[in-house]
Amino acid sequence: MIQLRRAVKALVSLVFIISCLFSNKIFAQANGQALFSANCAACHAPYKELTGPALAGVEERWGDKKRLYAWIRNNQALLKTGDKYANELYLKYNKTPMNLFPNLTDPEIDAILAYIKSVPDPKAAAPTTDGQGATATSGEDNSLLYGILTLVLAVVVLILLQVNSNLKKLSDEKEGQPALEPVPFWRNKVYIAVIAILLFCVGGYLTVKGAIGLGRTKNYQPSQPIYYSHKVHAGTNQISCLYCHGGAQDSKHANIPSVNICMNCHMAINEYTGKDKIYKEDGTEVDGTAEIKKLYEYAGFDPSVSKVWDPNKAKPVEWNKVHSLPDHVYFNHSQHVKAGKVQCQTCHGEVQEMGVAYQAAELSMGWCINCHRTTQVQFKDNGFYSIYQKFHDDLKNGKIDSTKGITVEKIGGTECQKCHY
Amino acid sequence: MKKLAIISVFTLTGVLVMSCGDNSKPGLDYMPDMKQSRAYETYDDHSNLSSKGVTFNNRPVSGTVSRGEELPYHLNNDSTGYAQSAGYANPLPRLNDTEMVEAERLYLINCAICHGTTLNGNGPLYNDGKGPYAAKPAMLVGDAKYEALSEGTLYHVMTYGKNLMGSYASQLNRKQRWMVAQYIKSKQGSAESSDAAAGTDSTASAAVAGSTMTTAQ
Repeated sequence: MIQLRRAVKALVSLVFIISCLFSNKIFAQANGQALFSANCAACHAPYKELTGPALAGVEERWGDKKRLYAWIRNNQALLKTGDKYANELYLKYNKTPMNLFPNLTDPEIDAILAYIKSVPDPKAAAPTTDGQGATATSGEDNSLLYGILTLVLAVVVLILLQVNSNLKKLSDEKEGQPALEPVPFWRNKVYIAVIAILLFCVGGYLTVKGAIGLGRTKNYQPSQPIYYSHKVHAGTNQISCLYCHGGAQDSKHANIPSVNICMNCHMAINEYTGKDKIYKEDGTEVDGTAEIKKLYEYAGFDPSVSKVWDPNKAKPVEWNKVHSLPDHVYFNHSQHVKAGKVQCQTCHGEVQEMGVAYQAAELSMGWCINCHRTTQVQFKDNGFYSIYQKFHDDLKNGKIDSTKGITVEKIGGTECQKCHY
Repeated sequence: MKKLAIISVFTLTGVLVMSCGDNSKPGLDYMPDMKQSRAYETYDDHSNLSSKGVTFNNRPVSGTVSRGEELPYHLNNDSTGYAQSAGYANPLPRLNDTEMVEAERLYLINCAICHGTTLNGNGPLYNDGKGPYAAKPAMLVGDAKYEALSEGTLYHVMTYGKNLMGSYASQLNRKQRWMVAQYIKSKQGSAESSDAAAGTDSTASAAVAGSTMTTAQ
């Protein structure tokens, strides 16, 4: 019994010591991570060149740890001593001066260096993510299955019809009725009548639909010079529509973003590292990193030559216009976005789910008018509509049902000359 | 022979109908005379104008200021300009509440994606290093280094960019940039005062924040 107790005690103390050791290690790592995040992360990453060099292997590159300490604390002083490696580094990164960190102690710098060492290389870890691609495509298999099922059922129906007619022929022969001369199906009046009616209906439907669709471009999805995925930008990364299309709140047009706006983020984001793979509409996979390279060509930016982008070298990307209203109708974005407070998705569809942008709505006159008939104007706390004093009064004294509110039609939104003049 | 002709006509029309489903083409137009503008419209190609003898440049005339726009900013995009910007005073009066709401909206659209909705430098693009943006954005609230920046320096950085941050002069006009600078300062002030002076009332702490701002300029 006593032996057992001793063993248990020893085990408990062992566990305690091990846990102490581990927690110590975790603490040191967290400390290094916090210090790195607070002091270094604005300009450095372990495996990516940002404003400054990638820091993985920094100790090996410097060799002497004392020089590295001196460099981190006061790089300007080390540069003045004429240190060769330091001066080369300074020139390579466009003489962007590194911040001074005189308050970092040796153990703190060691903790940062230990943290940098502990970060795994993302390139070495990349193959583990391959398993996800296979599950993503399984959605398509279902439609194929349904197609095969339909085909099989159709064949079964045909066979049964054949069997039925053969059986009828047999029973007719048994009863002694003379078999009729078989009429070929293209001379069978019933067949001809059914096909004629079907063709009339289908043809009429298609003709009417095509005539209505003349000049309308619903679902128009032109290919673009760069595969720009709205899903990645506005969906996954939650960038506001107005970040790039800021003109929608200030002017008639929602502007197409300039290369400068792309480069705000893509100066640093030079590869696609998202978890979800990007697929084109026809199912081929898109190489996000290659598409960013295309942007760099337009921007005249080569990260291997210089980390600093010169906007004067940029050429505009010639995007293809998707939404186009005829010239004889006036439409103003800021009127709808700023005064009307309409969401972008109301007219443009769920853009944050789209790969290449397409026209989701009809953009026909009936579509405009229907929306104007049913949409309530946001009268509350909206200076733009303060001029409609009578409506404000009627809303207050209950002459107009406040749940129904004021529709756009009531303030003249269906008058011809509002949009055609 | 006749049969063959009928069948081929049907298949041809079928193929035609199917090919109409091509979404990469805008489709057909009926009398497009009034659809396409004869006048030049936004984003029209006007590169051929010079060959027609028309002098056109889509940039504002140099040395002019559009109506309602703030006056230009004269400091250069270099280290001396950056140093001088610390003493550059914000030309706007203090924002009232509705203007501050507008400044916050502008911040959330243009800045929060990196610098975070709470200005802690952890927006969705960085997300503790898990997002696509590898560099940690400036912690505008909670880091003494950035809290010490004056409104002039914030404006300077928004105008020209700094390190990996690009220029926002194309997205925010001069007035909007000054508004956002004031918004950032107001957030920094409130965070400081709530930490430092929990006992004093809000107006006093706002006054303190205001005085630190003027000394910084």
